[in-house]
Amino acid sequence: MSNNKDFFEKEYMPRMHRIGKLTGTLGVVASFLPAVVLAVFYGLLPRPAALLTAFISALSAFGFLWIVEPISYFTVLGPVGTYMAFLSGNISNMRVPCASMAQVSAGVEPGTDEGSIISTIGMATSIVINISVLTIGVILGNSVLSMLPASVTEALNYLLPALFGALLMQFGLKQKSLAGGILVFAILICVAINAGLFNWLPGAANYLATLASVFMAIGVTLATYGKKKNLEKK
Amino acid sequence: MDAMKIANSIPMWIACGIAVALVIVQAVVFAKNAYSAGKKVGLTDKQMKGAIKSSAITSIGPSIVILSGMLSLLITVGGPMAWMRLSLIGSVMFESIAAGFGTSAVGVTLGADKLTPLALDMAVWTMILGSIGWVIFATFSANRMDKVQTKLTGGDPAKLTAISGAAIIGAFSSMSASHLVRLNKNSIACVLGAVFMGVLVTVSDKKNIKWLREWNLTISILAAMIITAVI
Repeated sequence: MSNNKDFFEKEYMPRMHRIGKLTGTLGVVASFLPAVVLAVFYGLLPRPAALLTAFISALSAFGFLWIVEPISYFTVLGPVGTYMAFLSGNISNMRVPCASMAQVSAGVEPGTDEGSIISTIGMATSIVINISVLTIGVILGNSVLSMLPASVTEALNYLLPALFGALLMQFGLKQKSLAGGILVFAILICVAINAGLFNWLPGAANYLATLASVFMAIGVTLATYGKKKNLEKK
Repeated sequence: MDAMKIANSIPMWIACGIAVALVIVQAVVFAKNAYSAGKKVGLTDKQMKGAIKSSAITSIGPSIVILSGMLSLLITVGGPMAWMRLSLIGSVMFESIAAGFGTSAVGVTLGADKLTPLALDMAVWTMILGSIGWVIFATFSANRMDKVQTKLTGGDPAKLTAISGAAIIGAFSSMSASHLVRLNKNSIACVLGAVFMGVLVTVSDKKNIKWLREWNLTISILAAMIITAVI
């Protein structure tokens, strides 16, 4: 067992960190390729002043998220998951659900070595499927997709809320009082956001709900953790 | 030259294709390493294949939603960029807003005015500059956050499991809450999804029906979605 622990911490994790940093850096470089193509093949260069304006708009709308989202999701995703999820995007609607369901299927706990390995496998699977579906979609193009009847496109709007509700139930059943309490807390935060109570925060304040709920759940767990352990001992 | 012709040109497909391929390569390399590490720490093939299957089943629904979101982006910034942006760091909402910031800085309203080549270039640049912040911060802070987390739990693995489980509940609570407070059909879908899942999880656990456990989520989501759309 101690051998396994050594392998995981001394060999596996350092290697994954190296891969993550390398691919993350390459990803940033690769995302500039279309801009390079526009410049080289079509002589299109952005107007610096206009680009600055656009960048400042984007910065004020999303800049805060660049930092808050990786922090909010870190405990959920783990280090390897963080590299993958932020390079591929679609975190809340796809990476987190898939990683969690993979852990449920394998019967491993989040936060353990086994849990981290399984969530990496699950997340990678979701990335491959996500990109395959997008690739098929973009090849078929508008023509096929626009043939979908309106009723189907309307129903698709309800897929994500149903997914979130179902996942909350899946994980909440194991910790009913925590899930119930945090859900009430999250609802109150969302009501406050909609009422404009947090308009003084930079950008759209929606990220606050995830940040506050995740850390409230962690805080409550840490605060009650010692007590629970003592009770079990008695 | 027509902006849409540029946006859908072969060089653009190649440039975007390389970026998309990189995301796949990262996922495959990580997964391969994880799979062989899994064997070493005592995970069985059955567990790991089951995880792949379960993740694949869970992926289908959200993938289709993302695909339908790509449609709007496809019309405004062309196929290659829409494809790449939603495969790399993307989310539909962010990308259309960022593209809009870019085009409006040169006086073109995205979706309403005809796209000029310059506006296309501005949209591309803004989408790139607006999204790399996530990757840069996440990539270079993951190591540090890992250390903070270890400190926070004092190296107690059971404590780490407890807070990871709590964090998952926190994340799904906030996502559910954002739909619940709308008090519209989204709220109904969220409640129905939870109710169906509750029933199915209880039944499949009590009777120990393995196949049902794998399909719990898909059945709950589909049922909730269809019922919400019909009423």
